[in-house]
Amino acid sequence: MDSLEILDEKLTECPANSEDAGRSSVCEGCPGQTLCRMQGGADPDQEIIDVRMGAIKHKVLILSGKGGVGKSTVAYLLSLALARCQSSKVGVVDLDICGPSIPKLFNVENQPIVQSPYGWKPLVSPNEDVKVMSVGSMLDSDTTSVIFRGPRKTGLIKRFLKDTFWGKLDFLICDTPPGTSDEHMAIVKLLKNVKPDGAILVTTPQEVAVATIKKEISFCRKMGVAVLGLVENMSGLVCPCCKETSEVFPGRGVVSLAESHNIPILGSLPMDPKVTECCENGRNPLENYPESPTVQGIMEISSRLIGLVNNG
Amino acid sequence: MNCPGTGSDQAGKSTACQGCPNQNVCATKPKGPDPDVGDITEKMSKIKHKLIILSGKGGVGKSTFTAHLAHGLSSDNDKQIGVLDVDICGPSLPKIFGVEGEQVHQSGSGWSPVYVDDNLSLMSVGFLLSKADEAVIWRGPKKNGMIKQFLRDVDWGEIDYLLIDTPPGTSDEHLSIAQYLKESDVDGAIVITTPQEVALLDVRKEITFCRKVDLPIIGVVENMSSFVCPKCKVSTQIFPASTGGGQKMAEDMNVPFLGSLPLDPRIGKCCDEGKSFLTEVPDSPATQAYKQIMSKIVEYCTKRNENRESDSGEMKTN
Repeated sequence: MDSLEILDEKLTECPANSEDAGRSSVCEGCPGQTLCRMQGGADPDQEIIDVRMGAIKHKVLILSGKGGVGKSTVAYLLSLALARCQSSKVGVVDLDICGPSIPKLFNVENQPIVQSPYGWKPLVSPNEDVKVMSVGSMLDSDTTSVIFRGPRKTGLIKRFLKDTFWGKLDFLICDTPPGTSDEHMAIVKLLKNVKPDGAILVTTPQEVAVATIKKEISFCRKMGVAVLGLVENMSGLVCPCCKETSEVFPGRGVVSLAESHNIPILGSLPMDPKVTECCENGRNPLENYPESPTVQGIMEISSRLIGLVNNG
Repeated sequence: MNCPGTGSDQAGKSTACQGCPNQNVCATKPKGPDPDVGDITEKMSKIKHKLIILSGKGGVGKSTFTAHLAHGLSSDNDKQIGVLDVDICGPSLPKIFGVEGEQVHQSGSGWSPVYVDDNLSLMSVGFLLSKADEAVIWRGPKKNGMIKQFLRDVDWGEIDYLLIDTPPGTSDEHLSIAQYLKESDVDGAIVITTPQEVALLDVRKEITFCRKVDLPIIGVVENMSSFVCPKCKVSTQIFPASTGGGQKMAEDMNVPFLGSLPLDPRIGKCCDEGKSFLTEVPDSPATQAYKQIMSKIVEYCTKRNENRESDSGEMKTN
């Protein structure tokens, strides 16, 4: 029996994001070849995107690779901390087309997106006035599923950047779905000319999560996205009864990952049921529970981020 | 709003296609039945029960549940179990099963899956990467191609159960699985959620997806229902069921509720070490809960078989 070497290094070097998209020898026989040939190359909408994004000082991606580690929660808490504690004007774009969590977190559910002469008006959250754009706000009901294949998701993401009237912002936080696929390639390609500051990688402590983060680091390196640092979410649970910190997802992977890949740890966020409850109800945990260790943690992360992007 | 499907007659022509970057490709591509679907259907016909594990939300424990369902089913040595991991970007199952670094072999009858146990095998893109840390940065069509190859070329043999673990979402991978298996008589989908509303939001969409593609739903499993503090034994809801949790959501969406699984930190540890929690910690309340949910799934599959046999029996006598 022969050993199967389907995916050696060359074949994983899919050139979908480059000028060679659909044209390289590696592309022969790929089911996406025709699509890449049509989609690859120069994009006429890019100029408009560059102008919109040029009015935003810092563009930061929140990535993971692994699902359910708290990307959207970290995007939410970080944007609140930047707005409240660092006096920044912040916008959040939700690139998770199939599972958009952002409207609920920001308490802008059931608000319609309105067209203005300057483009789609992003929703303004009552929590620290953060501007929000998500496909979740375009759906009739919360059971409506968005069953888009890759190209349609990419098309919508482009519209979020091209057609939304973000105005002048200090930060645009881009919340992403798990994985390293269409949405991730789209945002990196669309922001290429305006030099995003980089990506914050969110993980939980256990090995299964950290293993997937390594792939995300590999993605960032391949796509030329700077890795600003790691955030370890769900690092422990403070029992509301006995105040003992327990490990819910045990693991020491984050520290060794940071060392082996030379990436700073921006901070650790323990689980606090009070903060989770705020997220469930679209309330502002920074206002309601400022003494929570999770809130303290995100405030430290936000000031480290400010330090990184201003020195970079 | 929804894509008619790249293989349908309406592909590229429906109103939903307007503005889609793929429109031209769909409109000009030759239509007609995909010949590979026939090969896939044939291969799947040798497998008694096909189950798909879905969520919509990431990180709720689809892979953990799939692995432990597989361990539970394979504890009956007379049963042969196969597991297919179609999470191309984040394939967790090789690690959870403790078979990272294993190689896939090719023979005359197709690709051989990796054997975790004598009667339990696994196929995942994780086995095909030269380096475990390598990112698989593929657009939708390439992922679909890989999934089709898995379904068409893996030689499972004649097995009792094939469990298909999916990534979160309602996109390419899910549409492809539904499309390629549409004639393969899939028993149904098990939908995993956690109790909090932020998860339920995505899971409702997944249930809607299942209905749209005519995938029967076996039921909903609520994972990480509660956490028992090892010190004081008080149960905390880490992910609060602020809107009634998985059970209420299942009732509202008119689908069966299979049960709740508590969060035992030893589950995560076992997954990291590639061991079965069911054998490592047999006296945990989580193990008991797993077993109860598993027996409901087996009962559903057995009943479905009996109904199918009695239907064909009636047809013969007619």
